Amino acid sequence: MIGHRKRLSSGLSVTSKVFVRSRNGGAQKIVREHYLRNDIPCYSKSCNSCHDIVKPDSNGELPAFILSESPKKTKSGLSHYIVLDTNIILHAIDLLENAECFYDVIVPQTVLEEVKNRSFPIYQRLRGLVKSEDKRFIVFHNEYNEATYINRNKNETINDRNDRAIRKVASWYAAHLKANSSQNINIILICNDADNRQKARSEGIDARSLVEYFDDLPNGEDLKDLIPSNIHNSAEFHGENETTFPEYYSSARIMAGVKNGTLYQGMLNISTYNFLQGTVQVPAFKKPLLIIGSKNLNRAFNSDSVIVELLPKDKWREPSTSIVEESNIGANDNAEEDEEEDDTGAKGVVSDKERILLAQEALKATSAKEADQKRLQPTAKIVGIMRRSWRYYVGQIAPSSVSEENTGNASKSCFVILMDKVLPKIRIRTRKAKEYLGQRIVVVVDSWPSNSRYPNGHFVRALGEVESAEAETEALLLEHDVEYRPFAKNVLDCLPEEGDKWTVPDVENTEDPQLKKRVDLRHKLVCSIDPPNCVDIDDALHAKPLPNGNYEVGVHIADVTHFVKPNTALDQEGASRGTSVYLVDKRIDMLPMLLGTNLCSLKPYVDRFSFSVIWELDENANIVKVDYMKSIIRSREAFSYERAQLRIDDKSQTDELTESMRILLKLSKKLKQQRLDAGALNLASPEVKVHMDSETSDPNEVEIKQLLETNSLVEEFMLLANISVARKIYDSYPQTAMLRRHAPPPATNFEQLNDMLSVRKPGLSISLESSRALADSLDRCVDPNDKYFNTLLRIMSTRCMMAAEYFSSGSYGYPEFRHYGLAVDIYTHFTSPIRRYCDIVAHRQLAGAIGYENLDLSHRDKNKMETIVKNINRRHRNAQFAGRASIEYYVGQVMRNNEAEHEGYVIKCFNNGIVVLVPKFGIEGLIKLEMLGDANTAVFNEDKYELSFTDLKGRQRTVAVFDKVTVDVKSIKDEVSGKRKAQLLLH
Amino acid sequence: MSKMILSPAERSYLYDSLTQAPPIRPDSRTDHQFRPLEAKTSFLPGSNGSARIRLMDGSECIVSVKSKVVLSALESSLIECDIDVSGFRDDSNFVSNLKFYLTNLLQHNFPTQYLKLTSRYAFKLFIDCIVISHSSYPLSLISLTTYLALKTTRLPLLVSDVNDEEVAEQPTFSDDWDNAKYIGDFMKDGEVFQPPIFITLGVIGPNLIFDPSTEEEQVLENGLIVSFYGNKVITPISNINLATNSNNSNFKGLNRSLITKAMALGNKYCPAVVKALDTLIEQDDEEGTIF
Repeated sequence: MIGHRKRLSSGLSVTSKVFVRSRNGGAQKIVREHYLRNDIPCYSKSCNSCHDIVKPDSNGELPAFILSESPKKTKSGLSHYIVLDTNIILHAIDLLENAECFYDVIVPQTVLEEVKNRSFPIYQRLRGLVKSEDKRFIVFHNEYNEATYINRNKNETINDRNDRAIRKVASWYAAHLKANSSQNINIILICNDADNRQKARSEGIDARSLVEYFDDLPNGEDLKDLIPSNIHNSAEFHGENETTFPEYYSSARIMAGVKNGTLYQGMLNISTYNFLQGTVQVPAFKKPLLIIGSKNLNRAFNSDSVIVELLPKDKWREPSTSIVEESNIGANDNAEEDEEEDDTGAKGVVSDKERILLAQEALKATSAKEADQKRLQPTAKIVGIMRRSWRYYVGQIAPSSVSEENTGNASKSCFVILMDKVLPKIRIRTRKAKEYLGQRIVVVVDSWPSNSRYPNGHFVRALGEVESAEAETEALLLEHDVEYRPFAKNVLDCLPEEGDKWTVPDVENTEDPQLKKRVDLRHKLVCSIDPPNCVDIDDALHAKPLPNGNYEVGVHIADVTHFVKPNTALDQEGASRGTSVYLVDKRIDMLPMLLGTNLCSLKPYVDRFSFSVIWELDENANIVKVDYMKSIIRSREAFSYERAQLRIDDKSQTDELTESMRILLKLSKKLKQQRLDAGALNLASPEVKVHMDSETSDPNEVEIKQLLETNSLVEEFMLLANISVARKIYDSYPQTAMLRRHAPPPATNFEQLNDMLSVRKPGLSISLESSRALADSLDRCVDPNDKYFNTLLRIMSTRCMMAAEYFSSGSYGYPEFRHYGLAVDIYTHFTSPIRRYCDIVAHRQLAGAIGYENLDLSHRDKNKMETIVKNINRRHRNAQFAGRASIEYYVGQVMRNNEAEHEGYVIKCFNNGIVVLVPKFGIEGLIKLEMLGDANTAVFNEDKYELSFTDLKGRQRTVAVFDKVTVDVKSIKDEVSGKRKAQLLLH
Repeated sequence: MSKMILSPAERSYLYDSLTQAPPIRPDSRTDHQFRPLEAKTSFLPGSNGSARIRLMDGSECIVSVKSKVVLSALESSLIECDIDVSGFRDDSNFVSNLKFYLTNLLQHNFPTQYLKLTSRYAFKLFIDCIVISHSSYPLSLISLTTYLALKTTRLPLLVSDVNDEEVAEQPTFSDDWDNAKYIGDFMKDGEVFQPPIFITLGVIGPNLIFDPSTEEEQVLENGLIVSFYGNKVITPISNINLATNSNNSNFKGLNRSLITKAMALGNKYCPAVVKALDTLIEQDDEEGTIF
């Protein structure tokens, strides 16, 4: 409710707003004073009066006028600005981002706020649109403008009031431009609420629905297909009443339930082998809760944040040992699960008391040590979704869902099968289903009503033919939420004006106090060692013997923060990308090319700014002294690992640079030994490298990565630098230092692996007391008959490990800083600021710690650091997944032409199939029982992890975990998902 | 502390006038007439309900009512009062007595069932009274202001499920203050929300005078505090020396028959007082009712 206006002084009047805030069950009356101004401009370049009223902001800058003086015209020749209603933005944000339409758009503040309350991700995308200025979007602060502010009427709902405020903006703009602009610019209000349009028209506003607007656009026909599904009248949207999912609990019930411990919140994790089974890890129990069946999963997507409720004890289950993929279940969607009994309905209401008793049972079951209890896991059902993980999804139209007859131009619904197989298929409407068959397309989910078996979504755009490199690469970038669009103009504006002509300024005669603090290290014999053809060189090294018998060793890191200042658009872009992403044939940079590959890159023979860590190390590589400084260096040479190795090994080379590399090598070996003695792990992952034909860029060979001594040389000194820097910044900023930790794996992670070992390889086991014990026990796990077994075990152990994570030092106690894998007490990332944002923060904090410059507030504020850390952890993970997916794709392409027999190992055994890892390609594949032999003869011995069956040739066979098998590897395309997979056949 | 505000001659004159039948009051009021007052409601933005009463002599009281959602099992009472009288310590007998009177009256005579939100949750009301200035005994001033404040108190509208007996629900409320309801809105048809009030009666000779002024208090033989709720006089009825600040040489014992008379007068005239207050709320100009 709004009070009366009172004029305070000229240009400012005040009203108040009253509302109720209910938080945590309370109800508080809130009264806010609301000030109105008369100096808010219309931001139109064609306006000749608003330039007179604008006032500079706190930085003394005047607001920019963005709306074009000659905006786009409709078919009927109407040049116009667009005013958007909230429902358009919420449902058609993709269209707003489309380059084909929506220029010169006015977003009323009322709308912006409504969008923010309804969907934060869409809000951020809208902010992005406004910020980039490419599409000339502006936010008009109508709520603070005296001319457009409106009071809420008595008995008017807030929605009606806001609709009225939006209409007010449209009519104000129309009148304002008419009076103050010589161009004839019209205002079109786009709104999909018929009632609101009606009212607007009666007020003389040109109000249109999205369809009506597109009808009047020259390129409207093509755009119509992109109109999202729920903007159509939802009643006509098909597929309702196929099924009924339980309704979600009210938020009141969820909040109270979470509070009194009868409901739990966690992240849903759908099993990669069974899309009808998921787990939710909640803090209350040691083991995750199982969610089985689509009714219990209740429309949740993988990685949604969900609320779960325990099921009664008689429904507790063992995790399923069969493989269920949606694609198996067939295109006719007759996937009915076995269990659907009507559970809660018959029993009536379950009281909280019963639930709490159940929770105690569950607690017992999850922490039970007894062998018989071990596999029975509490199950739960999803009763609410706190946050959807919905994003862009890549998939392809299921051919069977496209009807054969030619239906002309009417839009038809069809199913899109997503690349991510833990997700359900999505129903979309399109008129061009046939055209898009066989293409990778991007879709968005709009809603999943409780009476629809599948979620409804809409088409966004087509990426191209399935299996074309461009489409697949873009698809996997989208699938992993990697921002790959070119850098926006405002980001590029932050780069030095000189561009690639930038050089290190004269440090001798300078007034710049920061430049004066730089140490000139150009006389040091610095060189860099990187993979061949590396262009973003972010580290370089030097070493020299000291008169006292010790060594001086320096690590020099590209001084990225000299160019990336905090709170600039460039910094924000880097922070949001978080990391560069390396694909087989492509690199998605975190920072613009100019910095990454030129100005920051420590290229040989030129002066570059760097951040140096210089130690004095004794003969045994113990640190005597360490110094940190911003510096200037000149790299003498950029080596590849191989060339560096050759030069070190070449006895005839005795120049100073080679000698210094030999010192580095010698010290690095000692450092490595120290690390291993402390218990650092040497785990393995099947890392492969794809060789590209240099001319055609076609992948033609796969090899396992080779490690040289020089790899480890660089690695050891980078670790040393990271550790030294971590100590220094933690010392200076104990609450907000940017660090990296690796938690020890919980014993439960290794339960199954150890069980497999004790059954299949008696006498071998992995001990978990400490990283040292783990490392030693891994060393002991050798099969004399099988050399690869140890590596296999290391690969499987790696999968039981926790992921290392970035954190800000205030979030954990010092003992928990420990990096388990590296066996050090404290660690950070400092050495690759060109491609990781963590390193940028560490650089700034180190610069603050040595008094070079003041540390920006955002890196001293605990909450802000929390946000940064959360994002870079997510980006880092996604980048890894994207990299692996890229390799997987190319390996698939290589195998296409190289069908052959290979050695493989069974790593998992189900009652209807086995999973085999092929070390040569680093791929693993599922062999289903039908492919192995006669499904009816199969006997699955769960305790022994073995599956017996009669194979296709009629022989009795038994395969078990860790067995070495020979498989036919060939690459086949899954016609349903369009994904090329390694098809393995047991030989 | 003692104050002489009347000379012996004035005292005698006033005493004689007030013992006449009917009593002759210095401001020419009849025996059951209140001093004129000026009231304003719903003017404190942050409160759920508020009221202010000013008398012609400058006496002024402001009452604010605030609400909080509580677990009813943990609260001994859903109403809590606090009184602040300028010039008096909070722990003085004067203030503690006023506070006790008001708290006791409201806690025992209030439709608290309407403050219950669900089986677990309820609104608790915090009533804060400030007496900025007063000359006569301020209890009825406080009580009438409290009446106005409670009558204009609005409580946020519950939008979550009311039935939380078996399954806990956290109460959630409509964010629109316009949806907030008066306590009276929760009552059933035929019921009216009328919080209890106190009136003060002066005893002088055979007469009982309503709302004695500070001069009248100086010569009273006794004072009565009568509580009124549900359209009738209720217990407690207590006697008190209203001239708390001065020596009242006239003060003497109370004739029993006057208590019955006081009850009869209360039953006769209090409905008119309540009605006058209700009319005040209705007529309070729109200007201030925004909160």
